[in-house]
Amino acid sequence: MTEDKILWVARYVEGDMDDAEVADFESRLADDAELQQNLSNYKDIHQSLKMKLSDNEELEHTLKGLNKQYFGEETKVVSFKPTIKWLGAVAAVLVIGLFIWAPWNNSLYNTYNDHSDMLVTERGATEAGDLVNAAALYNAKNYAAAKAMLQKLYAKQKTNAMIGYYYGLSLLKTNEVEQSREVLTPIYDGESVFKYDAAYAIALGYLKENNKADCKAWLTKIPEGTTRYQQAQDLLGEL
Amino acid sequence: MAKPVHADQRYLIALINNDAGLINEIYQKCAGKVKSFVVFNNGTTNDAEDIFQEALVDIYNQAKFKDLQLTCPFEPFLLLVCKRKWLNALKKKSVLQVTNSEDDLLLIGEDTFEQAEQLEEQAAQADLFLRAFEKLGGRCKEIIKWSMQGDAQEKVAEALGVTYGYLRKKKSECMASLVKLIHLKDRNND
Repeated sequence: MTEDKILWVARYVEGDMDDAEVADFESRLADDAELQQNLSNYKDIHQSLKMKLSDNEELEHTLKGLNKQYFGEETKVVSFKPTIKWLGAVAAVLVIGLFIWAPWNNSLYNTYNDHSDMLVTERGATEAGDLVNAAALYNAKNYAAAKAMLQKLYAKQKTNAMIGYYYGLSLLKTNEVEQSREVLTPIYDGESVFKYDAAYAIALGYLKENNKADCKAWLTKIPEGTTRYQQAQDLLGEL
Repeated sequence: MAKPVHADQRYLIALINNDAGLINEIYQKCAGKVKSFVVFNNGTTNDAEDIFQEALVDIYNQAKFKDLQLTCPFEPFLLLVCKRKWLNALKKKSVLQVTNSEDDLLLIGEDTFEQAEQLEEQAAQADLFLRAFEKLGGRCKEIIKWSMQGDAQEKVAEALGVTYGYLRKKKSECMASLVKLIHLKDRNND
């Protein structure tokens, strides 16, 4: 009888019963303690086995990534021989990668990068608080955070060249070069004090992308007598 | 009976949903501690990594399939699970010397012990069930395994080239055989 009950429970749980059988089973279940026990055992075994048999690839993928990050310092010691035959290939890839990546251009970018601070003059409006905070973040070189704040301010006042300029620079410094151009170009087109600073920043953006032609084109837009002129000429010389 | 579920249940939900941000937080808080404990007790960083991942997968399994409700904070729970796992591994390797860590264990609530113990028992039980499953016939194993992948059962039937009705019938028969196998084992153990 017990064995029959086991199969009965399995058929009930797996949906291998017609309506009449289900009704019969459920009415028996109400006052049959053994059947209740069988049902709960069945579910327990089913779910336990599911732990073992179902795949959790996505989670394991996440865990493997984090494992590397948090347990990775001690590199796993593998025997050297199988590694050595790959070394040639790895070296070749590195050399090619180096040419594509061209870190010397990057260092050129760093040399001519704009490190100046964002200076905020006193303003009466309530927005001044946000602006001061954004400037503090920007000056602390936390460009990602500054960007988020400046983005909000920029959305409210698109014609404010100062906010636009520093928003553009934050974008540039967080590698959103294209977006930075979208913000900086109207500033260059305008007539604010940031006109040529914007041009210089756009040139730096192209330099970052290793697009020397456009970088040069933008540097030559900066006329003699402006603050960025000397830097622009120096960089043109290097290029 | 019903203890309130701890707010840290969110970490279990993060594991179920593969929420990398919160899982990263778990690593941030606990990975270093587990590493120190294992390395301090005759283990390597790799051992610690394995233990940590195993513990998280166990917790994930219990949360997903057995509706584990955390009634204690997550961090001491995970640390305790990892410690127990490592102590068991050492026992198996019969390395006896283990630095006694009762001092910090005293700070752990009763709930945490209870839940860690349950987790261990459940995981051990699942291993036992898996061994019984391995004894089933090939077709039964195939049917049970496929039907437990989480896909719609209609699709499973299609993949196996059988009708949905046949799949249900066969699965209940196979599962019944498995339950009987497990019962038989229990009786033999008594």
